[in-house]
Amino acid sequence: MMRNMLNRFAEVPLAAWLIGALCAVYLEQWVGDPLTELLLLPKIPVLFGCLIVLKTPKLIPSTVVFLILIYAVPICVIAYAVRKPANMIAAKLFSGPIWISAILHLGLLYLILHIWSDISAYRELTLKFTLIAIIVTLSLNLINGYMGEFSCSHPGFMALGAYGASVFSLVLFADDKNFGEALLPGILGPFMFPLGLIFGGFISAIGALVVAIPSFRTRGDYLAIISLAFTFIVKSLIENLEFIGGPRGLGSQPDFSNLLVVFIWTVLCVWIINNYVQSVYGKATNAVRDDEIAADAMTVDTRKTKMVTFMFAAFWAGVAGGLFAHVLRFVNPSTFGIQKLAEVLAMVYFGGLNSVYGSIVGAVSLSLLGEALRPLELFKWIIIPLLLILVMIYRPTGLIAFKEFNIRNLIQPKHIPEDEV
Amino acid sequence: MRKGAVLILLAVAVCMVFTPSAWGKNDAIKIGINAPITGDNPKVGEGSKYAAEMWLEDIKAAGGISVGGKKYDVEVIIEDNEYKAESAVRANTKMITEDEVMVIVGPQSSSQAIPAGDVANNYETPMISPWSTNPDTTNDRPFVFRGCFLDPFQGPVIANFVSDQFGFTKAAVLYDVAADYPKGLAEEFKKAWEKKNGKGSVVAYESFTTKDADFSSQLTNIKRSGAEFFFAPQYYSEVALIVQQAKELGWDKPIVGSDAWASADLLKLCGKGCVGLYFSTHYAAKGAKGATKAFIDRYNSKYGYVPDDVGALTWDSLRIVQAAIESLPKLTGKIKKDRKAVRDAMASIREFDGITGKMTFTENGDPIKCAVIVKITEEGEFEFHQSVCP
Repeated sequence: MMRNMLNRFAEVPLAAWLIGALCAVYLEQWVGDPLTELLLLPKIPVLFGCLIVLKTPKLIPSTVVFLILIYAVPICVIAYAVRKPANMIAAKLFSGPIWISAILHLGLLYLILHIWSDISAYRELTLKFTLIAIIVTLSLNLINGYMGEFSCSHPGFMALGAYGASVFSLVLFADDKNFGEALLPGILGPFMFPLGLIFGGFISAIGALVVAIPSFRTRGDYLAIISLAFTFIVKSLIENLEFIGGPRGLGSQPDFSNLLVVFIWTVLCVWIINNYVQSVYGKATNAVRDDEIAADAMTVDTRKTKMVTFMFAAFWAGVAGGLFAHVLRFVNPSTFGIQKLAEVLAMVYFGGLNSVYGSIVGAVSLSLLGEALRPLELFKWIIIPLLLILVMIYRPTGLIAFKEFNIRNLIQPKHIPEDEV
Repeated sequence: MRKGAVLILLAVAVCMVFTPSAWGKNDAIKIGINAPITGDNPKVGEGSKYAAEMWLEDIKAAGGISVGGKKYDVEVIIEDNEYKAESAVRANTKMITEDEVMVIVGPQSSSQAIPAGDVANNYETPMISPWSTNPDTTNDRPFVFRGCFLDPFQGPVIANFVSDQFGFTKAAVLYDVAADYPKGLAEEFKKAWEKKNGKGSVVAYESFTTKDADFSSQLTNIKRSGAEFFFAPQYYSEVALIVQQAKELGWDKPIVGSDAWASADLLKLCGKGCVGLYFSTHYAAKGAKGATKAFIDRYNSKYGYVPDDVGALTWDSLRIVQAAIESLPKLTGKIKKDRKAVRDAMASIREFDGITGKMTFTENGDPIKCAVIVKITEEGEFEFHQSVCP
């Protein structure tokens, strides 16, 4: 019976799942409050009930019921019910240009996230940090996974991007005690914000050049040490620059990073990096990782490949830093230290090397776990590392490593072979 | 399919039966504590947590906080901010939107209190940071208060004390350039000293970076500069190293410190070297009287050490919150309204009699309170020397 069920669900396309999820989040908004009251829960379970359950285990049954009634049942039933029309629409869209279909799917996904996070500001904040973590993880995966180096300079890049973008928006759009009055009217701010992020990204790409030039000959441990040194250099540089606040940090950035902005940048990052790793450059990067001498012999310009990939990854880390600074609305140098590095590295190696899927899975699962296990306090720092150790033992390259991310496979209509119908 | 539906319904029914109905919406007053339980500075988190536990014990013993003749249960929610800015923001957002706390006490350090204060102010939730000395924490934020004096006050206090006590005119400063608290205080001190003794009276202004352990080159410079004393606004773990190394280099003049010295661990790490030194702080444990002494004794017997200033300030902050809530005519049960009422009550507190001194909040949410100069005795206790009021 189980297999039969699974077979039935095999023909549910992504679009139908998304519609199901959309209905579920709508349902939560409409009947979530009465249902929580009925089930005697204190509030709508915000992160799938983890916080409630870990704090008061007695509420496990009601939380499970809530999750089943609000999420599991509606998603499955509706996804199954609309599978046929969804398949038809997906097929029609699929025959046209791929981007139309992709954008429609993404629009649906955004709608789901938006409604889901509308319930509580805490959800929204967690979601934003999770999306930013995806960008950072993916960009580090580019170096550590696709290029096979071990770079420790990502906190440094993030710091450069965060400070770059913050200075950009503080100088132009905010009255601030460090930089004086705004140069441009604040209404332009949200529209110019992408420029600020790109500016931050370029600053960190230039920073990457500084690491890349002296270290392009080194590999492995040596690069790790040089890049680690870079992180420290950036940190103490910012600490000693008085005009951007020094160790006291830089605050009161305007609130430009709303969910839509963060979502769009995350999608852009996934899309562009995915295209990059599937392009000639990406393949060259892989060749450099597998055997640099052989790659050189096969006319790959290894030096250029390494530099470009490094700077490209740094650019995205910088963008992530810029978004991070505007979500937090405060940056200080000590945020971008060893702890941040450990966090990002854990996400990359947990999710899986050389894989876009892996980065997304790693970033989402570790950032959600970090929040969901909050009630455990100290034990959180035993459980998460333990999970990492287990993953490293049983899947040494991470959960989903070396898997290509193919948007076509994801959004195509699903038909089961004729004889099984 | 049908079977599945029946099963689910059955499961729901069973769960409903077994869900105890004792809890549901309770009207307890929730107080959030945002403290670094894990991370780089767990001792600070521990002090806050213990103070909160003791406070809760008192409240429970009294049967809750009474507002307008009605007793309300109190729940304390402690969230860990891992000594990180982003985590402090997450913790604050969670407590405000999920737990619906009425007031937040914490975060302790300025690097977390500044961004967390922004969140609290945006959601119109009163927050009091017991220990954050950076002016930005409360600046332009009507809902954010603090429980301690600010750096711009402490700097002149130390400068005045040294001139009055010793009559020195040449000062040196040794501070951590990478941490906001020492750096800010070093600057304030320098400003105050130069105002008093003229330009160039700070003869050495030496810095190092967090986690440095060797200060010999800076100390040599200070020694050579002809300074009559030096000021080290550092945390206690660094103070021990600085003092020991200074003694090894033959420095026999005074070293003066600030409130971050005040930790029970200072003497353990520093040994005889620290005896006889002076520093400014929020309260003096030795020679304390009345409520202060009662608090110290109780803390000491319960947790086995004399509370740091973080513990005392957290205690005072909680008491201020309690006083503010108690002064309300009634609670409406609508959290947003109640938060506003508590904020207004906190802002209008006059001459609050805390264990770290009397406090009155300015319009900015900063208290006007006295600093204490203490001397480290032979037995390793912090003895009251003098009190400096604004």
